[in-house]
Amino acid sequence: MTRLLRARDMAARTTRILRAVLAGSALLAASSCSGGALAQNTPLSSGQSFVEGSFSSTYFSPGSRPAAPAVKSTLLTGQRFSLAADRGTVVVLNFWGSWCAPCRQEAPALAALARYFPQNQVRFVGVDIRDSVSSAEAFQHTFNVGYSSLNDPRDEVALAFQGSVPPAGIPTTLLIDRTGHIAARVVGGVSYSGLRALIAKVLAERP
Amino acid sequence: MKQNLVNGDPAAGLSGPEQAEPGSGGAGMTGPRLARAGGVSLGAAGWLRWGWRQLTSMRTALVLLFLLALASIPGSVLPQQGIDPAAVTQYYATHPALAPVLARLSLFDVFGAPWFAAIYLLLFTSLAGCVLPRAFRMARSVRQPPPSAPRRLGRLPHAVSFGTATGPAPALDAAAGLLAGRRFRLRTGDGWVSAEKGYLHEVGNLLFHLALLGLLGSVALGGLFGYKANRLLVVGDTYANTPTAMDVFRPGRLVSPSDPQPFSLTLEHFTATYITSGPQRDQPSSFSAALRYSEYYGGPVRSYDLRVNHPLVVDGVRVFLIGHGYAPVFKVTDGTGHVRFGPQPVPFIPVEQAGLTSAGVIKVPDASPEQLGFAGVFLPTAVDVGGRLASAFPAALFPRVSLVSYAGDLGLNGQPQSVYTLDTSHMHKLAVAPVPLAPGQSIKLPHGLGTLTFTGYRQWISLAITYDPGQLPALISAILALAGLVLSFCVRRRRMFVRAQVGAGGRTVVEVAGLTRSDAAGGFETEFAELAGEIMQGLSGSAVGSLPGDGRPGDGDLGGQAGVDGPAVDERAAGAEEGAAGAEEEAAGAQEGAAGVDGPVVVASAAAGRSGRDSPALAEPEGE
Repeated sequence: MTRLLRARDMAARTTRILRAVLAGSALLAASSCSGGALAQNTPLSSGQSFVEGSFSSTYFSPGSRPAAPAVKSTLLTGQRFSLAADRGTVVVLNFWGSWCAPCRQEAPALAALARYFPQNQVRFVGVDIRDSVSSAEAFQHTFNVGYSSLNDPRDEVALAFQGSVPPAGIPTTLLIDRTGHIAARVVGGVSYSGLRALIAKVLAERP
Repeated sequence: MKQNLVNGDPAAGLSGPEQAEPGSGGAGMTGPRLARAGGVSLGAAGWLRWGWRQLTSMRTALVLLFLLALASIPGSVLPQQGIDPAAVTQYYATHPALAPVLARLSLFDVFGAPWFAAIYLLLFTSLAGCVLPRAFRMARSVRQPPPSAPRRLGRLPHAVSFGTATGPAPALDAAAGLLAGRRFRLRTGDGWVSAEKGYLHEVGNLLFHLALLGLLGSVALGGLFGYKANRLLVVGDTYANTPTAMDVFRPGRLVSPSDPQPFSLTLEHFTATYITSGPQRDQPSSFSAALRYSEYYGGPVRSYDLRVNHPLVVDGVRVFLIGHGYAPVFKVTDGTGHVRFGPQPVPFIPVEQAGLTSAGVIKVPDASPEQLGFAGVFLPTAVDVGGRLASAFPAALFPRVSLVSYAGDLGLNGQPQSVYTLDTSHMHKLAVAPVPLAPGQSIKLPHGLGTLTFTGYRQWISLAITYDPGQLPALISAILALAGLVLSFCVRRRRMFVRAQVGAGGRTVVEVAGLTRSDAAGGFETEFAELAGEIMQGLSGSAVGSLPGDGRPGDGDLGGQAGVDGPAVDERAAGAEEGAAGAEEEAAGAQEGAAGVDGPVVVASAAAGRSGRDSPALAEPEGE
């Protein structure tokens, strides 16, 4: 009997503890709302401070491809660019920055592939992000890049892909098929042979 | 236990869910011991059941909660891979022997560690396993009809009896009508009426427990579908809520890069003001960031004044202002005469708060003939302190930049590196006179390597972008839990029992008794006295004194007196197992009763330690 009673006492206490815990946490939540002065320790004081794309390559089979958004912007050369106008060709959209080491590493491969495929079948376009125009042009010069890039300091192109297949880091390369659908995404630096095979695969598809 | 069942079990379920909790509290702890004492060997199922009880006991939950707190300590002491990979690399360099061991124990990724997950999953299971069965039990008890009236009402803590000329059946009808009018839930039987009120107490209890589950669910929701991001944004620049625009992206387990809401915002203007005198000199007094934002690409543009603790809420995402600093603007021309960098603002990171001295680097990877790198400091208000440069004030009153110049290989070909550090291991320092630059001034590099110009400066702010879909549900749950708590504290379940039978002399003897929980707020004595008085008046009865039955001494007509000598008597009368505590309560209760009541109060202070929690109920037979 006493044991049972003790058990019941403990059960009652359990509820009280439960209540105390909740009441306590409510207080804690209330008090933690009031912050102090502006925290000075910026999260950027260390670390590399951009979202690096850890390598992943995704191929979407023709039936299940998300449509690419309508991207309109101006190229570094001053020409207007519209993604929709490129229907009928495969588009390789490469997001890069002159400050980004993996981008610099993959740049020769991209420049070479742009020369390898006929321009009327595969169009290469860069999207230069978080960069100044002069740095972008210097990069193009260094790697002898034969195609132009959109200068996109406001990340509008990446934002347009939000909701479908956005660049998940820098660098990211998107392959858009002839019908304007996203056929593949490579996050991280591409290799010459890897990207060539991927482009050839999309190119071989019956339109 | 048996004794109470015989007694008609007046308190059955009154303290409901807190009794006989098989799945919570210490009840579970004694389980196997009891079983062994009883000579029953535990099978596998028994042990499983015992284990489950252990896991779902409040003690275990608290231990797990403590462990969770303890386990997060290494997460703040040691550098974490997800937050600061550079610091982890640094740690490997300084502790080459220890680091691999720590890495093996997941101590550089505490919050993703299997043992950390084990703790919080166990805690989740423990809490859910504790709360859910209780909620079910309470839901049952909300719908429960009152129990049948006990045989001897005199044993209850509040009891009164009187005689009336009305017959037993009409008397009971009258009493039932009165109690029903007071919104009691009724149950009638042969010669008795049983009434109960205050089910809101259980409703409150139920609400509290369900809200607690809701709170757990909300936390899980946030952890799975929420994300956090950081971005340093220079005045004039635009942030788009997409991974490539983030400096740091910490998605929840089920968040993909395409999930962040497609808003964008532009920092039009930033003002920081500082206190210029007094002991708080150099302290910031206000920050204000003028933003223009739109919820989606091409959507309508709105303005917002972002200040500390006044986050911008856009499409359910909250954007906080968490830091600020300076971004000097540079232009670099290389040896061939081409501009290879900028003019572009380069965020410098504060290394000291009083004067906001900030450090940063400039990398010019496309300069020729050699790559160029610069490392240095930005001084908002530069002063010379004994031949050394320092910043005297955080506002840019006398901005200067002091840089060290390098040429060589920046190492920007392959592994990602921080944009805030310069790897000079393959570079050589250039001989440049260490003269601080004022805006508009340049450094001409030796050997025709180029020119750097400090063209001016801009300010930057750092933003914390958080999306937590569990936040609103968590708030609602917390409010409901609090409401439930208040309800269960303020409302008591109380029972009234009426028995009527023909007594000696042909008059009807009506007994009225009441019962409530003892651990809720007081005041039932008054309510009972009023109800009993009304019942008696309705039947124009006359007091006949204390209830027959136990033949206890001290069962007085006067509550106050009964209370005074109550405790000693009660203990004996009730044969109670736990006299002292109950008796004290009883005494207090009786005094209250005497003070506030002028009715036909006959508070029989019997059954000490019977009321409420201590009631020897254990009603539910399935409650083990």
